[in-house]
Amino acid sequence: MTPDPAPRRRPWRRRATPYLFLTPFFALFAIFWVYPIAYSFVLSFLNTRQRPWTLDWDFNWGRLIQDEYFWNALGNTMLILVVQVPIMLAFATLLAVAFSSDLLKFKGFFRFAFFAPLVLGAVPYSAVFRLIFNEQYGVLNYALTAIGLPSVSWLYESTPALVTIMIAMTWRWTGYNAVILLSGLQSIPATLYEAAKIDGATGVQRFFLITIPMLRPVLLFTFVLSTIGTLQLFTEPWLITTTGPGNATETLVTYLYQQGFRSFNFGYASAIAYSVAIIAAIFSILQIRLVGGREVER
Amino acid sequence: MRRDRLIRSIALHALMLPLALLFLAPIAWMLIAATLPNAEILAAPPTLLPGTHLAENWRDLNDDLNFVRVMANSIGISVIFTSVATLIAAMSGYAFAKFRFVGRGVLFTVVIAALTIPFEVRAIPQYLLVARDMGLANTWWAIILPWIAYPLGVFFMRQNMLSVPSDLLEAARIDGAGELRIFAQIVLPIMRPALAAVAIVLFLFQWNDYFWPLLILSQKDAYTIPVALGTLVGLTRVSWGGIMVGTAIATLPFLVLFLWLQRYFIAGITAGAVKD
Amino acid sequence: MHRVALTLLALLTATAVSAQTLTVWVWDINKPALESTVESFQEMHPGVDVVVEDLGNQNVYDRGLAGCAAGGLDMPDVYLVENNEAQVFWAQFPDCFVDLTTLGADELRPMFPDFKWAELTVGDAIHAVPYDSGPTAIFYRRDLYEQAGIDPADIETWNDFIDAGTQMNEAFDGNVKMGAIGKGSDDEWFRMLANQAGCFYFDQAATEITITQPGCVQAMETMKNVWDASTLHPAGWSEQIQFLQNDAQASSFFGSWYSGTLIANMPEEQAGEWGVYLTPALEEGGVRASNLGGSALAIPASSDNPELAYDFITNALADEENQREILFEYGLTPSLLSLQDDPALEQGVEFFGGQAIWEDILGTLGDVPAVAGTQYFQEAREVMIVTVNDYLDGEYASAEAALDAAADQIAASTGLPIAD
Repeated sequence: MTPDPAPRRRPWRRRATPYLFLTPFFALFAIFWVYPIAYSFVLSFLNTRQRPWTLDWDFNWGRLIQDEYFWNALGNTMLILVVQVPIMLAFATLLAVAFSSDLLKFKGFFRFAFFAPLVLGAVPYSAVFRLIFNEQYGVLNYALTAIGLPSVSWLYESTPALVTIMIAMTWRWTGYNAVILLSGLQSIPATLYEAAKIDGATGVQRFFLITIPMLRPVLLFTFVLSTIGTLQLFTEPWLITTTGPGNATETLVTYLYQQGFRSFNFGYASAIAYSVAIIAAIFSILQIRLVGGREVER
Repeated sequence: MRRDRLIRSIALHALMLPLALLFLAPIAWMLIAATLPNAEILAAPPTLLPGTHLAENWRDLNDDLNFVRVMANSIGISVIFTSVATLIAAMSGYAFAKFRFVGRGVLFTVVIAALTIPFEVRAIPQYLLVARDMGLANTWWAIILPWIAYPLGVFFMRQNMLSVPSDLLEAARIDGAGELRIFAQIVLPIMRPALAAVAIVLFLFQWNDYFWPLLILSQKDAYTIPVALGTLVGLTRVSWGGIMVGTAIATLPFLVLFLWLQRYFIAGITAGAVKD
Repeated sequence: MHRVALTLLALLTATAVSAQTLTVWVWDINKPALESTVESFQEMHPGVDVVVEDLGNQNVYDRGLAGCAAGGLDMPDVYLVENNEAQVFWAQFPDCFVDLTTLGADELRPMFPDFKWAELTVGDAIHAVPYDSGPTAIFYRRDLYEQAGIDPADIETWNDFIDAGTQMNEAFDGNVKMGAIGKGSDDEWFRMLANQAGCFYFDQAATEITITQPGCVQAMETMKNVWDASTLHPAGWSEQIQFLQNDAQASSFFGSWYSGTLIANMPEEQAGEWGVYLTPALEEGGVRASNLGGSALAIPASSDNPELAYDFITNALADEENQREILFEYGLTPSLLSLQDDPALEQGVEFFGGQAIWEDILGTLGDVPAVAGTQYFQEAREVMIVTVNDYLDGEYASAEAALDAAADQIAASTGLPIAD
């Protein structure tokens, strides 16, 4: 399928048209994306610990491999990825099914409730969560103790701090994913469900035999989006737990920030940045292969 | 059969309502805290009803910063950014979706790949570029320019542009319409919902962006709302009430806007997702 | 002489000069403190506006870095820098700040103690002028101590502090803690105690990592004993202020500048209920002094008015009257030597129940062992924040093991060898 039939009139202008439409974007893209990204790449091979900066191929990359703090940050990031993302997506899928159910009234209200967290900016949201998760005076511990549960040191113990980050992320992003999944649900032909009903399939069977398989591409898309987002996780650990206690909630990007903007070690920071990019690139190739591939060729 | 449905419907609501309230609780609490004196914001037991300290908190906020000026910056920057970036995203999305040309696959892959690069990779060189080489620190342009090429916008727009009927474009071409005219007078009008959706996403992004403005803005009069709020947390006299008033101001317009333009918000989010 | 010349110039070009503005970047209490000196500065330079901006501590540092990295761009005329962090700037961006000897700063040398200059000079060049010092002390609530039956005069060592903490826990069922520690968010406790024991991350010349030395081990162990006795809240900067405001914390261990923070943040009911006692010793009869923080003022090379900026700095920092006001009104401890035996120090401070706290605190300055933050301060600090946290959580078998691990990590990031 070609989008346009072979050009006949004004072939030169026709051929130039797409490039002209792309020019403004790619001009700015070259200046503000390509150039800094390339410059950072060069930096990752320089010893920037002291002036003058000198070329030293494996100075930063060699350190990266041996750096326990880097591995800790990678481990935390991966843990959040493996635990939080599936929970959030499962939750989002169920929400999407509920949204699409004709049993649910007041859909506008429910969409609003689950989507509202997204419009809160990073700074406001972190300030609010810091207060809510405050051990002594936070609303959350107050509620927990009111129903007889023990209060938790959310920000000053390692595991609770990680849980805090995950709760915060889930709160902020579930509605967003639910909305994406909802649009996927709506594109599943109703006839499939009707046929299954006639065959006597129960609701649960229909969910696992029709909904999940048909939703797979969209689920995969949300999974890739969430993965990339998690790999770049910065705001929550930076502002809510200040990467603590210690480095219990240090992520790749917060570690990058520490090295670059607190320790002045731009070369090492660039190497960390590129390690994030490499991991993310693997996922984006997956995305193009598994989700976008067919479409790009359409 | 009908009774069965009713029971299931009630059960579903019984499950969804508490969840929905749980999700709204932090926002509700933020709005309440904006009206409380500092001592009551963090106190055991917590105060859960609105107080009367809203005006004082606003004064606190305005004492530390010229918050009206800060809001003007945020609005100006976000509006200019959104208009220009949406147009540029639409142009690129149109080219990618409706034209066949050498390098299309490669260029599109590059755009997608850019989505995965953390901003921090660019931060240092970009700072040098914008601040030193262009001399734009503390201006609106310093915030606007680096993000105008916004890959996610291009991605969303391309997905939507795929649905523009090629026959329509061809018919216009046969009538002798120029390419720019086709884009401006045919493509953009039918894409209005998608444009609105992408514009909302871009606006939200710019309105909430923190890291880059934090680096490039050092003068108080140039602050955007997130930067201004961020600096308040670091002050000696931490005025949580003031911060909560600021967060409420930064957030409320969007909550109202969302209720009003829900359709477009949702379209914006889903625009890129499902065209398989 | 140049002051006269400048004043003349100011008079001659009145319209041009009236638009002159000095921008000063500071954090916290330094804003009102330095603003209090503007009037006397303007008597010297009529028509020059001074804008003191409070950007918050971390922001001032982050923007200083960004500005210097951009070749001295968008910097203020006067820049406040933490002593400990200062050497990063001189090492990484030697041209970013004016060498103040070109403006006559050599005459300031004898006016401030040598240990303050150590971090502010490179060879003969002077990059910043000493502002305040941070001799440590314990700030405490008289009423809460009294209710728990604790007499601060009895607290001479950290073991006494622990006993008092236990007594505090019993008296208030654990609802009021003796103190707070920024566990996992800062390593101030470690630095204060290590300084007391004469130990620091690095040696003075920044050639070796000295963190595995006995003094640092003793600091770690002491800190763990205090923590293990459940006498401290884990709390970052703003949480600690909340605890204090809510009567949930009876004392705070910090540099003297914390007095200004208390005066600015505590509710009125607490005025007069505060007091100060000296830092407990690590062992019977040991040193009861250490230092945390302290800052200096520098002039970015990009300033259009370095002479004016220099006059502003000397007027604020080297003038006895201004320094006295900064001390009494804002609680910032002067580094100016001539003020150390000032009779005014005997004056009681109302907020602290009439106690002559400055006489007590400043009396310890001479006992503070000197250290240099070195250009690697931030690297070491990030590592120690983590190490202290994990050590307090019991993840290391001993203080030695924790410090060995920390030393390896610091060596990897700085390239410095570890001292034997």
